[in-house]
Amino acid sequence: MAMERAQVERTGGLPATVAREKLFRRILGRQPAAWLYLMPSLILFAVFVFYPLFKTIYLSFFLSDMKGLPTVFIGLDNYVRLFSSPEFIQSAGSTLLFVLYTVPATIIIALILALLANEKLKGIGFFRTIFSSSMGISVAASSVVWLFIFNPSAGILNRILSLFGLRGINWLADPNWALFSVSLTTIWLHLGFTFLILLGGLQNIDEHLYESANIEGAGYFYQLRRITLPMLSPTLFFVITVSMIDAFQTFGQIDLLTKGGPGNSTNLIVYSIYQKAFINFDFGSASSAVVVLFFCILLVTALQFKFGERKVHYQ
Amino acid sequence: MRIVKQTSLYVVLTALSLVLFFPMLYAFSASFMSAQEVLLGHFLPSTLHFENYLQAFQDVPLFRFLINSIFISLVVTFGVLAVSSMAAYAFVFLDFKGRKLLFVLFISTMMIPWEASMIPNFVTVQQLGWINRYAGLTIPFFASAFGTFLLRQYFKTIPKEMQEAAQIAGIGHFRFFMNVVLPVSKTSLVTLGIYTFLTTWNAYLWPLLTTTDELVRPLQIGLRQLQSQETVNEWGVVMAAVMVVAVPTLIVLFIGQKHLQKGLTDGALK
Amino acid sequence: MVKRYKWIILLLVLALGLLLGMFTVHSSAASEPGRTEVVFWHSMGGVAGQTLMQIVDDFNHSQNKIYVKPVYQGSYEESLAKFRTIGGTKDVPAIVQTYEVGTKFMIDSGYITPVQSFIDEDHYNTKALEENILKFYTVKGKLYSMPFNSSTPVLMYNATAFKKAGLDPNKPPKTFSEVEAYAEKLVQNNKGMDGFSFLNYPWYFEEMVTTQGAYNYNNANGRTGPITKSLVNSSQGIKVLQWLQNMKKKHLLTYFGTNGGNEQAAFLTGKLGMFLSSSAGAAQLIQNAPFKVGIGFLPHVDGVKPQGVAIGGASLWLPKGPSAKTQQAAFTFMKYLESPAVQAKWHVGSGYFPINKLAYKEPLLEKTYKKIPQLKVSADQLHRTIPSYYTRGFITTITPQARMVLQQSIDGVMNGQSPKASLDNAAQSITDIIERTNRANQK
Repeated sequence: MAMERAQVERTGGLPATVAREKLFRRILGRQPAAWLYLMPSLILFAVFVFYPLFKTIYLSFFLSDMKGLPTVFIGLDNYVRLFSSPEFIQSAGSTLLFVLYTVPATIIIALILALLANEKLKGIGFFRTIFSSSMGISVAASSVVWLFIFNPSAGILNRILSLFGLRGINWLADPNWALFSVSLTTIWLHLGFTFLILLGGLQNIDEHLYESANIEGAGYFYQLRRITLPMLSPTLFFVITVSMIDAFQTFGQIDLLTKGGPGNSTNLIVYSIYQKAFINFDFGSASSAVVVLFFCILLVTALQFKFGERKVHYQ
Repeated sequence: MRIVKQTSLYVVLTALSLVLFFPMLYAFSASFMSAQEVLLGHFLPSTLHFENYLQAFQDVPLFRFLINSIFISLVVTFGVLAVSSMAAYAFVFLDFKGRKLLFVLFISTMMIPWEASMIPNFVTVQQLGWINRYAGLTIPFFASAFGTFLLRQYFKTIPKEMQEAAQIAGIGHFRFFMNVVLPVSKTSLVTLGIYTFLTTWNAYLWPLLTTTDELVRPLQIGLRQLQSQETVNEWGVVMAAVMVVAVPTLIVLFIGQKHLQKGLTDGALK
Repeated sequence: MVKRYKWIILLLVLALGLLLGMFTVHSSAASEPGRTEVVFWHSMGGVAGQTLMQIVDDFNHSQNKIYVKPVYQGSYEESLAKFRTIGGTKDVPAIVQTYEVGTKFMIDSGYITPVQSFIDEDHYNTKALEENILKFYTVKGKLYSMPFNSSTPVLMYNATAFKKAGLDPNKPPKTFSEVEAYAEKLVQNNKGMDGFSFLNYPWYFEEMVTTQGAYNYNNANGRTGPITKSLVNSSQGIKVLQWLQNMKKKHLLTYFGTNGGNEQAAFLTGKLGMFLSSSAGAAQLIQNAPFKVGIGFLPHVDGVKPQGVAIGGASLWLPKGPSAKTQQAAFTFMKYLESPAVQAKWHVGSGYFPINKLAYKEPLLEKTYKKIPQLKVSADQLHRTIPSYYTRGFITTITPQARMVLQQSIDGVMNGQSPKASLDNAAQSITDIIERTNRANQK
């Protein structure tokens, strides 16, 4: 505040300049330099994020020809069709299930790993590195590996099952298993990143809290519930938000593992959009699905910030 | 008692490591197998088929792709660091109209799936003449909402007094930004750098679409090229390519793991 | 302080260098001055891709006027999506490989020059090329693209297991009921083996309708007029799904969904006796199988004279845009690809069959057929095909959508739905898509 006052006093010269500056400030804010710093981001976002978004909204009201150009205005017809099509409802359902399968499991497993890796042991760095390793492996590479693991005749999973005399499962081709299999891959893929963040969060917790708890003779699980989790809540909140957004936008695994099959059971929304746009070249319906997805994610995130953040304990 | 606890911890940690790292070990082992052995579901190769690696490098210009991947990832990393740190600086240290609204706008871009805006973006890049240019593979990714968010959270922990002191000493914004803010936030910058490097390295659909020439293509495409559509896969060769694709990023991760973990939490959560 | 500035300057120089590098045109280092460069977009991964590379290399070494540069563009779908957006601009290649599904789009787009104009100008004789394939790509008397890689659906079987089950390994089942009987025997006599399997790729369904002498779409599959209606719920279509469903109910059919890799792996490890496959995979399957592989024609409904099959695969197109000289060079390369010797090599190396009839007289093919006579089956099937509108293949832009609908319908049937109800639904959805597409494209 002191600084601002000083600035105002310094510029308090001729009345005309003051008026002009006031006008500038009303438009640009007190520090026009800000726009200079924001310029690169704003230009890039405008060109590569907002322009496509608006174009998508526009296209969603049209039928588009085979070159992707809008030809016939059809109002909300694309949306009506979308919500009355069983495939889209199924896609939406699969996406929700997928989020349910992957997000909590990833976070719980990562949390257990982080708690273990937070112990002070010799050579713990090695284990931490291994636990975070999946972050360094691309979706393409790991999907190829998992594709092979899931192979019903040569893959390791069915080999193990057959050791126990169980009949092999057609992991990626059985509609009852496919979504589970893709989720398993996804959990593995995301563990590295989630683990790293949670571990960092654990290490930021003040040692003294545990020391005094130890003096009072509190047990491990009591400390976990009363100290660790509350202190970790901001980290958890961040991780949950990012994981949810990630899960809603899953694409690579689906493309490489199942292509949305069998029978649409793994056709998550982003993949169905890709199919509509790239394979069918039906921009109109693809666009309407994008718009719906965008508002869904927006809603979920907004709800999270509204209700989730209340429970977060800030230091 | 202590020893018992420690050994059991080690046992648990080792077991978990094996389970988690198993897919990669398996891929590593399969990369040395013949096509027959792979299909019969062997765990270990009977003889080491190094020729799988030779074959992978022969079928696809993996070496050229490797160079491209490194180049593209480095450019995007530096681009993101520059663009996001500037934006984050504005959000924290500069006062301007609509700051809050603009920040929400930034965050909202995280929610638009990239795949969904791919076609309009592809047309844009094409009209800019960036097909087959590194520009098309890098510049669209320079602005990062995640990066801005991460750095903003960290910059907020820099005491306001520092800025006031700088103001009094007559140091301008740019010098304050370059000489004070950036050096202080080294950990966060390194973190964001590693994170960006890894995600760029791993992208594959966008590079496939915006390049039609092998000279500028990154490594992930090579991996796809080795898989056939209508015929039987040569799993050994494919797995060899998987190893070639995965090892460089694993090395980056192994070296940067500590920084990454510290920076991600320091920044994102204060 | 000085040290830090050095760093900054170094970084700036580096950044400048990078930026300059980023916007410059990267022309191929391999192309030589004085040679016309022909950029060739293809979608051949794996083994077929390797063979294609060899052929292109041979061509580049055989002369010094033209340099062909093959570039992989991802799957057919991805390649076509790219071409759709790039068509009509300066970024087009000299040759683009497009799958049969994209034929109608390519013709209507106006982005390409029909190869017919080069054939006429050059007086190139197409007599030696397979008539059945040429017909697919001929519309209103004009050949639009040069056929290149073609395949047909065939029945692959484990001949060794046939023997063990007391079946003649040289006589594959021909009709639906024969397949059923054979599957039963295979299951009884080979421990852990499934008799037959079905991959949910609607191409097989379409072909099994075709061979009965029925259409998938009205107006003779779009050959006599624009398509306005789907006919998948014909009695012929229902028969196909009814048979598959019965087989599955009797546990004679394993259902692999859409995962072809799994199906092949099951076959190669002796867990599957017979399956439908594209003939393109034949050479490699035979090579990799630890047993003798037999190949038969696509099975058909009992009591029907089989009409034969429509071809699948892809062809080569000449986009508008490159100079006349480049287009001419591209055409020269196409002629090279069609030549008997190259076709023989392509057939042996990739599994797609030769589209030049003279290729069968090549020593390479004669030698290979002596060693692996099964390879000949797919070509025989094509030669036995009765030329008609049925077997000429359909021409529409909506195939990808229609196949997606069919896929779900087949999936439903495999999981117990009634074939008729399911196909009725599918036909209605597909007709709906056709109407929408026609509305969007009429102007």
